[in-house]
Amino acid sequence: MLDFLSRRLAAALVTLVLATVVVFAVVEVLPGDPALVMLGTDARPDTLAAVRAQYGFDQPLTVRYLHWIGGLLSFDLGNSHAYGTSVARLIGDRLAVTLPLGALALSWALLVAIPLGVFAAWTHGTAGDWGVMGFTQIGISIPNFWFGIVLVLAFAVTWRIFPAGGFPGWRQDPAGSIYALVLPALSLSLGEIAILTRVTRSAMLDTLREDYVRTARAKGAPESTVLFRHALRNALIPVTTVAGLIAGFLIAGAVIIESVFRLPGVGQLVYDSINNRDLIVIKNVVILFTILVLVVNLLVDLAYVVLDPRPRVAS
Amino acid sequence: MSAFLARARRHVGFQIGAVLLLLFVGTALVSVFWTPYPVDELAMRFKLRPSSPEHWLGTDHLGRDVLSRIMVGAQTSITVGLIAVVLGMTVGVTLGAWAAARGGWVDEALSRTSDLIFAFPAVLIAILITSVLGASARNAILAIAIFNIPVFARVTRGASLAMWSRDFVRAATAMGRGPIGITLRHVLPNIMSVLIVQATIQFAVAILAEAGLSYLGLGAQPPVPSWGRMLRDAQTYIFQAPELALWPGLAVALAVLGLNMLGDGLRDLLDPRLRLMRVG
Repeated sequence: MLDFLSRRLAAALVTLVLATVVVFAVVEVLPGDPALVMLGTDARPDTLAAVRAQYGFDQPLTVRYLHWIGGLLSFDLGNSHAYGTSVARLIGDRLAVTLPLGALALSWALLVAIPLGVFAAWTHGTAGDWGVMGFTQIGISIPNFWFGIVLVLAFAVTWRIFPAGGFPGWRQDPAGSIYALVLPALSLSLGEIAILTRVTRSAMLDTLREDYVRTARAKGAPESTVLFRHALRNALIPVTTVAGLIAGFLIAGAVIIESVFRLPGVGQLVYDSINNRDLIVIKNVVILFTILVLVVNLLVDLAYVVLDPRPRVAS
Repeated sequence: MSAFLARARRHVGFQIGAVLLLLFVGTALVSVFWTPYPVDELAMRFKLRPSSPEHWLGTDHLGRDVLSRIMVGAQTSITVGLIAVVLGMTVGVTLGAWAAARGGWVDEALSRTSDLIFAFPAVLIAILITSVLGASARNAILAIAIFNIPVFARVTRGASLAMWSRDFVRAATAMGRGPIGITLRHVLPNIMSVLIVQATIQFAVAILAEAGLSYLGLGAQPPVPSWGRMLRDAQTYIFQAPELALWPGLAVALAVLGLNMLGDGLRDLLDPRLRLMRVG
């Protein structure tokens, strides 16, 4: 098992190193002169030179790359060009909005998707199954940011139950902050509900065909015991895997949702940084998200080992 | 072909998908020649009007006809989506077929590279690319195309590997045909149905991505109408003209739904193994 995990960890590290090279190449090499991107083509030569010196753009590529990696390792990500403050603190503050948003969306998605998927598998081939599958088809086709706008139309414009956007801040108003995350989390979870429902349904269909389920039924176990104790427990293994994969992408999807609801999260930071051409912030946010995705994938592998004894034996 | 049509006639999902796709493509084609109003005609006196017999879907914040703009927006969606998928597919299929034919280090390098691209959240990289290269429809196409490459490379590799172990391909190898000849004559024609299904699904994904990018202001730039940008503008006026925020999103959802249903339908109709499973 240790062998299995250390191999996974090594693979993740290699991916991470390659990812830093790619991000560095896109942000600092592809545009030619990063200072020109940050200041615009009408910038004066002396301000350009000053910015180049300030961010070290005048140094050789390898020096710049190693300097950035060194900074990443010591959590010193430099200062934002637009905000003038430390990038690490900037991102840290914004994560306080984005992480709860992602967690809320994922919990809500699991809460809805697992029962729906079990129901669809249980009523396989009947109207109930068709209804759930139709819903998932619609769920993956609707852009989540538009669903967010529709939710605003319904619950903020028409009925005025929830705010149309904005975020009061955890310290100022904790209850209001949770309240402000409800609509964004709902819109973020729509596509995930659709995907997780399908995964749960097909995993349940697989396990319901297994011999031990037939044995349990033959022994006269109640249907609920068969469904939840025997079938669902094993069906949860692929569901966990996909939920983990989704978790990373939920956070990326938050970029658009935070923009819809004007939430001061990491997504909004990315959006503002694009408009401010703040390459320093963009580069670090992208790599931090990549690290997050890799860590989540590692955790999924770990959960996999705990839930399913087979890989443990195999390794 | 007639057997395919006979089966298609019984597949409701496929039919709904086909009708929606025809509607989508038809709207874009008609809009090339005709729209109810000139697409950029400003009429500030009539701004933010609700649906009416003159303006079926109302007018936007500059008094422009929303229906006309949605019709032309279909062109933008199709252009960006189609070019991105065709680009990604061309490169991806070539790489995937090469990896399957060659094996060894080529295969290993390709698999690791696609793992790397999959580790990045796609939206973020698209944002990164468009923010560095500048916001434009062309750069949005590029960003979406890059993410289609590993998808097609993986699918092609997997399906091609299965073909390479089949007897008729082995026979062709024994007859002295080279890897390129076999790939073009035997492998690719036999995995075409898998690629068509994947392309349909990827087209749907690309349209969603285009809408998201242009909502963030990173897609097609004004005055070119795009559904995502229309939603962004509509949101500003959501309290004065709530309907405005409905139509462009509905257009995206219907186009994507149509392609997804068509893709699922095609998979059922073209993949004989699934068909057998359903019968049995």
